[in-house]
Amino acid sequence: MSLLGEFGQIGLFLILVALFTITLVLLPIALRYVGLVPRKPSPAKSSTYECGMQTIGETWIQFNFRYYLYAIGFMLFDILAVFLFPWAVGFRGQLKAFGFIVMGIFFFILVVGLIFAWKKGALEWK
Amino acid sequence: MNWYLISPQLSLGALALIIVLLDLFLKEKRILGIVSAAGLALPFGFALSLWGHQETILSGMLAVDGFSLFFCFLFLGIAFLTLLYSTDYLPRIPRLHGEYYALILLSTTGFTFLAATGELISIYLALELSSLPLYALVAFLKDEKSTEAGIKYLLLGAIASATLLYGMALMFGLTGRTELSEIAQALAAGGIREPALLLGVVLLIAGFGFKMAAVPFHGWVPDVYEGAPTPITAYISVGSKAAGFAVILRVFYQAFGQPAWLHADWSLTIAVLSAITMTLGNVVAIWQGNIKRLLGYSGIANAGYLMVGLAAASNIGRSGVIFFLVAYTLANLGAFTAIIAISNKIESDLIEDYSGMARRAPALALILALCLISLTGIPPTAGFMAKVYIFSAGIQAGFLWLVIIGVVNSVISAYYYLRVVKVMFLSQPSSEEGVPSSGALRAALAITALGVLLFGVFPYVLLHLAENATLLP
Repeated sequence: MSLLGEFGQIGLFLILVALFTITLVLLPIALRYVGLVPRKPSPAKSSTYECGMQTIGETWIQFNFRYYLYAIGFMLFDILAVFLFPWAVGFRGQLKAFGFIVMGIFFFILVVGLIFAWKKGALEWK
Repeated sequence: MNWYLISPQLSLGALALIIVLLDLFLKEKRILGIVSAAGLALPFGFALSLWGHQETILSGMLAVDGFSLFFCFLFLGIAFLTLLYSTDYLPRIPRLHGEYYALILLSTTGFTFLAATGELISIYLALELSSLPLYALVAFLKDEKSTEAGIKYLLLGAIASATLLYGMALMFGLTGRTELSEIAQALAAGGIREPALLLGVVLLIAGFGFKMAAVPFHGWVPDVYEGAPTPITAYISVGSKAAGFAVILRVFYQAFGQPAWLHADWSLTIAVLSAITMTLGNVVAIWQGNIKRLLGYSGIANAGYLMVGLAAASNIGRSGVIFFLVAYTLANLGAFTAIIAISNKIESDLIEDYSGMARRAPALALILALCLISLTGIPPTAGFMAKVYIFSAGIQAGFLWLVIIGVVNSVISAYYYLRVVKVMFLSQPSSEEGVPSSGALRAALAITALGVLLFGVFPYVLLHLAENATLLP
C-alpha cells in the first residue's frame, strides 16, 4: 500500500473520532432542547455531595515561583538518566574504556551545572 | 576517531565551563573577562595548527576544511572583540558578569560547530547551541525593553527552528539521508521531482533566513537590536548573520547544487528575496531616529547584499560572501564599539544627541564615521571592495537586474549613514565634556578601524584566504 494510503487509514479514524466526540458533546444539549431532559435545581442537589468538602478561599492561589528552578534541575538529571540507560546496556558490549571516559566527561559537565545551581542558591527554598 | 580535529570547538566549550566554575569562587569578576579573552588563544592556536586539513569526522557529521576553519577564525575574532568592548558596558549590568562571559563563549562554541557541520542533525544541534545563550543574553538587562526583546527573540527563534526542522524532515524523507554529501548524491541522480522537495528547500531558506535577518524573516531584528545590551546587539548582528550565511552556503552549495533545475529555482528565490531585503532594509532605515535601530535595518540591508553572492551560486560568489562578511563584521563591530563608548557617556541612543560628537570625542567620531562609510561602500574601505566582489559575482551569474537594484540601494543607504556623520561633524555640541573609554575598548576600536582600512587598500590578502576557504571537496 502506498504511503498516502496508509496515512489515509489514520485520517479515516481521525474523522470517526471527531464525529464521535462531537456527537457525545452535542447529544445532551440537543436532548435538553427537545425537552427530554428536565432541569429542576434545588439547594440539596447543587450542594457538595458526600465525600466533597466545602472549599475555603479562592482556587486561584499563588504557587511559589521558585518551583521552576527545581523543575529545571530535575530536567538536568532526567536527561542524564535517559542517556545512562542505553550507555549501561552498551557498556559491556563495545564501549569499554572509551565509553567510560566519554560518559565521565558528560557526567562532569552536568555536575558543573549542579555545583553552579548549588552555589547560586537555587537549591535553597527561600 | 581523531578528536584533535575538533579541538578548537572542544577547547572553546571547556573554556566556557572553566569560566562557570571560576565564577563561583572568584570575587573579582574582571579577572573572568581577562581569562575569557586570553583563553581564546587556545582554540585559535588549535585552529591555526589544523589549517590545511581536509577531513570529515564522526561519519560525516562534522567537516574540518578551509571553509570551517576560516569561519572558526571569524567567530573567534568576533568573540574576542565582544569581550574587549564589553568591559565598558558591564558596569551598567548590576550582576551575573560570570554568566555573561560564559554565555558568550558557549554561543561562540555553537557558531564554530555550526561552520563545521556536514549533516542536518548536527546543523540543528549547533544552531540551538548557538541560539540558546543568545536568548538569555538579549534579556540580560532585565528591564522592560530588554525582557521584551528576549521573549520576542525566543519565540520567533523557536518558530524558525521548527520551520527548519520541518524542512530537514522533508529532505530526509525524500532522500533517506541526513549527510549533505549523501543528499547531494541522491538529488543528483535526478529521480526526485516532487513539489515536497521545493517545499523543503523553501522551509530551509526560511529557517536560515531568520538567522541571516532576511526579509520576510526579519521581524525580530529592530526590537531585539534596540532592547538588547549594546555589546550583545553587536555580537548578534555579526555573529548570527555570519553563522546563518556559513551554514546556508554549505548546505545549498554542497547538497542542492544538482540537478540544474533545482539549482536555478533556489538561486532565483534567493535573488528575489535579496532584492526585497535590501530595499526594505534601506528604505525603512531612513526614518530611524535611534542609532541601534538604524544599524538593525542596515543589518537587514546588508543581508540583502550578501544574498546576491549566495544567489550567484558560483565559487566567486562564495568567496564574495566570505569577503563581505569579514568587511561587514569589522565595520559593524567598529560602529557598535564607538556607540557603546558614546552612549555610556550621553546615556542615549538617539542620533540627534550625537550632535557635535566630533569635537567632544574626535577619535571615536572619526572611527564611527569610517565604519559607516565602509558600510555605505565608499573607497578606500573594505566595504567598497566587498561590494565590488559580490556585485561582480552577481553580474557573472546573470543577475544584472539584481546588481542594479543593489547599486541603487547603496546610494539610498548613503543618505542615512552620512546623516549620522553630518550630525557628528557639522552640528553644535550640546556640551564640551569628553567621552571616557577604557583601554580594552580603544584596542577593539583600533583593530576594527585598521581592518577596515587594511582590507580596503590591500583586499588581496583577505580575498586569497577567502578563495582558499571556498575550495570544498
